[in-house]
Amino acid sequence: MAEKKKKMPRVFDYFEEEDLFSGGVAWCAGCALELNARFVGRIMGKNTVLVGTPSCSAPVLNGQNTAAWHKLGHYACTMTGVASSATGLSRYYRKAGIDANVMCFTGDGCAQDIGFQTMSGAAERNEKMIYLCYDNEGYMNTGVQRSSGTPFGAATSTTPVGSAGHGKDTAKKDLPMLMSMHDIPYVATATLSHLEDYAKKLQKAKEKSREGFVYLHVFCPCVDGWRIPTDSSIQVCRAAVRTNYFPLWESEDGHYRITHNVSKPKPVEELTGLVGKFKHMSKEEKETLQSMVNKRFNILKALCEGTQNAA
Amino acid sequence: MTVQLDKQSKVITGNAAAAYAAMLCRPDVVAAYPITPQSEVVEQLARFHANGVLDCEYVPVEGENSAQNVVCGASMAGGRTFTATSSYGLVYMYDALFNTAGYRAPVVMVNVNREPPGIHAVCSGQQDMISTRDTGWVQLIAESCQEILDTVIQGFRLAEDHDIQLPVMINYDGYYLSYLAESVEIPAIEDVDKYLEVLKSQPQRPRLIPGQSIGCGSHGMGMGYVELRRRHMDAMERVKAKVDDIDASFAESFGRSYGGQVETYRAEDADIVLVTSGSVTGTARTVVDARREAGLKVGLVKLRLFRPFPVQQLSEALKGKKAIGVLDRSIGFGWNCGPIFMETKALASQIGIVPMLSFIDGLANMDITKEHIDTMIDAIYDASQGKDYQETTWLP
Ligand SMILES: Cc1ncc(C[n+]2csc(CCOP(=O)(O)OP(=O)(O)O)c2C)c(N)n1
Ligand code: SF4
Ligand SMILES: [Mg+2]
Repeated sequence: MAEKKKKMPRVFDYFEEEDLFSGGVAWCAGCALELNARFVGRIMGKNTVLVGTPSCSAPVLNGQNTAAWHKLGHYACTMTGVASSATGLSRYYRKAGIDANVMCFTGDGCAQDIGFQTMSGAAERNEKMIYLCYDNEGYMNTGVQRSSGTPFGAATSTTPVGSAGHGKDTAKKDLPMLMSMHDIPYVATATLSHLEDYAKKLQKAKEKSREGFVYLHVFCPCVDGWRIPTDSSIQVCRAAVRTNYFPLWESEDGHYRITHNVSKPKPVEELTGLVGKFKHMSKEEKETLQSMVNKRFNILKALCEGTQNAA
Repeated sequence: MTVQLDKQSKVITGNAAAAYAAMLCRPDVVAAYPITPQSEVVEQLARFHANGVLDCEYVPVEGENSAQNVVCGASMAGGRTFTATSSYGLVYMYDALFNTAGYRAPVVMVNVNREPPGIHAVCSGQQDMISTRDTGWVQLIAESCQEILDTVIQGFRLAEDHDIQLPVMINYDGYYLSYLAESVEIPAIEDVDKYLEVLKSQPQRPRLIPGQSIGCGSHGMGMGYVELRRRHMDAMERVKAKVDDIDASFAESFGRSYGGQVETYRAEDADIVLVTSGSVTGTARTVVDARREAGLKVGLVKLRLFRPFPVQQLSEALKGKKAIGVLDRSIGFGWNCGPIFMETKALASQIGIVPMLSFIDGLANMDITKEHIDTMIDAIYDASQGKDYQETTWLP
């Protein structure tokens, strides 16, 4: 009897490699980081050198846990030195004529806070590398403290809810937008509910990093820190896209484009309702968050329209 | 500007000497950030690069922390690397200094000594170097513009040696040497190539290249970590003899040498000695000559290697003396004395208990005059004669 071949989803066409990670890696059950890392590895390929730092990604990516990790070359450095260490690698490879994809892979805390200066510097110098920031909206590895990527209202261990505290009282830093203002070849946002979109962006990132600095911002829920069920991270990613909380867009050579149009965006409550860290928010606070989401999206839309036909 | 690469004699500053030396060693990657009194090094290297004389990746970073991480990364990929800094710049790369040394990246760095406390302390002093002594770097101190140039070349030979593989920091006094112009013998680039050629015949050090499952910086925890620390310490111990060997082979190639770890001057038959480092040593030599002429058996020991501390060589130079003085251009808290003094005092079990005097002088660009040195020698002499003495003296 002829075996029925199961049709693989289209995203498999983008894979260049077998899974480069071993089983039994040291992430929490249901952590979106695992899918993220395996996915990135399969598309970026073996010629990739990962540059990472203390964070939830470190136990697997940077060989902290030598029992289960991956086959890629990797460089571990301080949180202050990711893009600069990657600069050193990338510059030497260029000098020596060695072909490589140098890829920084860090959390939001590193990228937008302590590692921001050096990342911004590398972007301004247009160093040939990819900086991938997986955004779990806080310092998860040290116990779910707020970062500048934590959104308005979210409860973390340093923005706790109490009689006087209502979670974080300022907005999330819009890092991908900020990075796109560095006049670099390519910036994109992506998430794990829209894998084909993500795959295309990774491929483009690989290509564009031959020209200069590429920044990828990947929305990546943390089951533990966000207080969501272990089987819900992809659902949360999808809700973030559907509500325009996390729009999928790219900026290629200064041309902004929304890569996944949401025709009827849902209210942001559709996301906050799924996530424990928002549970305490009042009606007014939710409205504030909604207005922040709208404001940001309008800026993005204006940029898309304004740069569409520009030379 | 046309840059000559033949052997030549030229009047240049200490900073220019450092930049010339770095250029002559053909680094693959140079990254640096300007700071007074080092800026001229960065600018001179940028000019060499712009003129095509220095064929390297030149990375004008946005801060010293990045400078250190860039050279560490490039070094781990297999490159020869150079950077330069001073004072706050050195301190701003403090976390990265540990990594570079911990990864055993053979980076060569010039640190132009400047006081760090107080942002307007734009003046000379060794506190910056002293305060990074436990980061795992080799630390050498140069006395003259010529010695700066020669020590940077020796620094590459040392850092990349297969038995060593450690970063090397070459220190020299800000202002006194950074801006001092004196005649310097600049070797031909081919001769520097020849001097460094021996490194090519050594086994290649491990390096991070794509396509290989190699990790860098994964010190891990527990026994793996402990083992790496032990090896780091062992390599540091090997540095001592290597510094002597390299200085000797440098003399064979270029006709100049500096005594290796320590240089002694009229110290062999001396009753009392003064220990110095850096640019003040010239003044001290002049005073020693004058006092010798007047019949005082005084000698001088110049510390060239500060990390690792040249325990054996220094002990030998100091053994049998009736009293010893140590001149520090920085301070050491807790022991109420100078830091180099503190370390010299720890040699007591090797050299015996004799009066030891700490002199703190030359902080914040204050001149260490001949009169100051005379005062120090008088105090050491009195102590050698059994008179009461004060352990720590601040001059002026
Ligand atoms: C210089 C420095 N400061 C603080 C820390 C402690 N630390 C380790 S991981 C971490 C948080 C990292 O957050 P992020 O980059 O968002 O990664 P995540 O843990 O969320 O995956 C911090 C603060 C450190 N390793 N280095
Ligand atoms: S704490 Fe969060 S980000 Fe870290 S491994 Fe667990 S689920 Fe993933
Ligand atoms: Mg995070």
